[in-house]
Amino acid sequence: MNIARIAVNVIAGLAVCTSLAQARPAVQASQAAVPRDDSGLYTPTDPIERGLWLQTDDAERTMRNSPLVIRDPALNAYVRGVLCRTVGEAKCRNARIYIVRTPQFNATMAPNGMMEVWTGLLLRVQNEAQLATVLGHEFTHFEQRHSVRLFKDIKSKSDAAGFLGMLPWGFVLQAGLLVSMYGFSREMEREADAGALLKMAGAGYDTREAARIWERLRAEMDATAAARNTKTRKDKNGGIFATHPPTAERAQYLVEQAAKAPGTAGATGADRYRAALGPWWPQFVDDQLKFNDFGASAYLLESLASEGWTPPLLYARAELHRRRGAEGDVARAAGLYDQAIAGGGILPELWRGRGLARIKLGQPDAGKADLTEYLKRAPGAADRAMIAMMTGTGEAR
Amino acid sequence: MKRICRLIAAVALLTAVATPAFAGWKLVPKGVPALAAGGLKVTPSDDWNRSSSRPIKKSEVWTLDGATLNELYFVSGLVPGETLFKDANKKERPLPKLRASMDLTEIPEFFESSQRVALNTSVFEITGVEPYKFAGKPGVRFCFQYAVQGATLIREGEVAATLVGDKLYLISFIAPSIHYFDRDRPKAEAIMASAAL
Repeated sequence: MNIARIAVNVIAGLAVCTSLAQARPAVQASQAAVPRDDSGLYTPTDPIERGLWLQTDDAERTMRNSPLVIRDPALNAYVRGVLCRTVGEAKCRNARIYIVRTPQFNATMAPNGMMEVWTGLLLRVQNEAQLATVLGHEFTHFEQRHSVRLFKDIKSKSDAAGFLGMLPWGFVLQAGLLVSMYGFSREMEREADAGALLKMAGAGYDTREAARIWERLRAEMDATAAARNTKTRKDKNGGIFATHPPTAERAQYLVEQAAKAPGTAGATGADRYRAALGPWWPQFVDDQLKFNDFGASAYLLESLASEGWTPPLLYARAELHRRRGAEGDVARAAGLYDQAIAGGGILPELWRGRGLARIKLGQPDAGKADLTEYLKRAPGAADRAMIAMMTGTGEAR
Repeated sequence: MKRICRLIAAVALLTAVATPAFAGWKLVPKGVPALAAGGLKVTPSDDWNRSSSRPIKKSEVWTLDGATLNELYFVSGLVPGETLFKDANKKERPLPKLRASMDLTEIPEFFESSQRVALNTSVFEITGVEPYKFAGKPGVRFCFQYAVQGATLIREGEVAATLVGDKLYLISFIAPSIHYFDRDRPKAEAIMASAAL
């Protein structure tokens, strides 16, 4: 398999960028947008582009049947609504959105219109304007045909690289070509960021929210590192091979650009976002808690609790401590379960968590009473047999 | 001549470095007690194949038809501070470590979190947890299913485990839910039931 072939597979499978990336001045939102057919939908033109569409159509067939895709009509309609408001109803018809249950921050859009939005992103952005930033960014990649341009760039350079490989010391020049491929990709990221800001402003969002995403991601990476007692990785960018240069610079650029195209000050859509995502947060938070990243999880919970610690958030915080199990964590967890129950929490797992914590804290009777209450409240629980054994009402087979 | 010898040596060295380590497989005959991953002894009721490659030192992988179709994973004597699988991406996505304070109810949580991180998936669900006598000791048995990105296949699994002091002994069986899990589950359960320490 030659480099070009590998490149087409990588690009077709992953779309042009894995997350929002760096933006800088000197954006040229120029190249012809994707041509449209009679019905106004975009169509591929040359053989290379048609090939990319075929590959991504194939990936989309797998995606369509993936167990990871969240099919809830309300959530899908909401995310689609934000995209359509941001890019306009006519263009929006080109996109098919797949909400993928995975805890990392990511969104992509493939050349054929398949857009992936990961649940880790939905957990991290705080309002509709921030979501619009990401969707607008990805749509700009699609609209400006970045995948096709990137592929053509890689293909021409890899042809040259193949020739250079036959020459003594040609590998030095090959490396230079490789660097220039990444540079080209970075340039498209800048273009996509600029496109996103214009779209946000046009849709009446407050464009200052764009930079906040990056500030918050950097803070989350600091929190991860602090809890792991390691150095923060927020400025790790892969050096010359990075398509995503330092995000501090990017946040700064977005602040400057937002001042030029402010959109509608204060229009963040935070209330609509909370209303649409509220039913899903327990699930997304649970996925985050099980990903062994105490610092990031604690940071995200603090953010979600900006307007107060509700019983579900207290439960999540309690679980976070109970699962880490470091010194003082179990007692801390027990206190948080207490608060959640006192605050009107009704999730059966509150009693499960507190029961297990109390047994560890040397209060077996109180613990067993809690576990009995858990089984009463969740008669169909998956761990019923195990918990019943702990309360003394079941035994090992 | 010297130059040619040097060239041959250089090529041989490069080849050796570039060749990946291939796992070898050895038959584990049925009916004969076998040591799986050190301290754990089991007696298979069918012929299995043992991989020469171990994900971690205290582990072993067995299969009937290939590890993606039916895989038994043995862990024997994991101590606090160690991870269930190889911590291959520890800077970005470190695996959880076994803790001295863990009890049996936390083993499914430890296993689930380890798998979610290792497989990089959130679609992982524990479907049942029950008490279980493992090697004659109080233990836990649980079932689960999961899917990963880029595939439509759902896999199912079952684990039997126990803690002796603060050491973890565990056998997991994983297979595609289509055909293989149901077909091979009794064979895997027979191995779990035969465990001795």
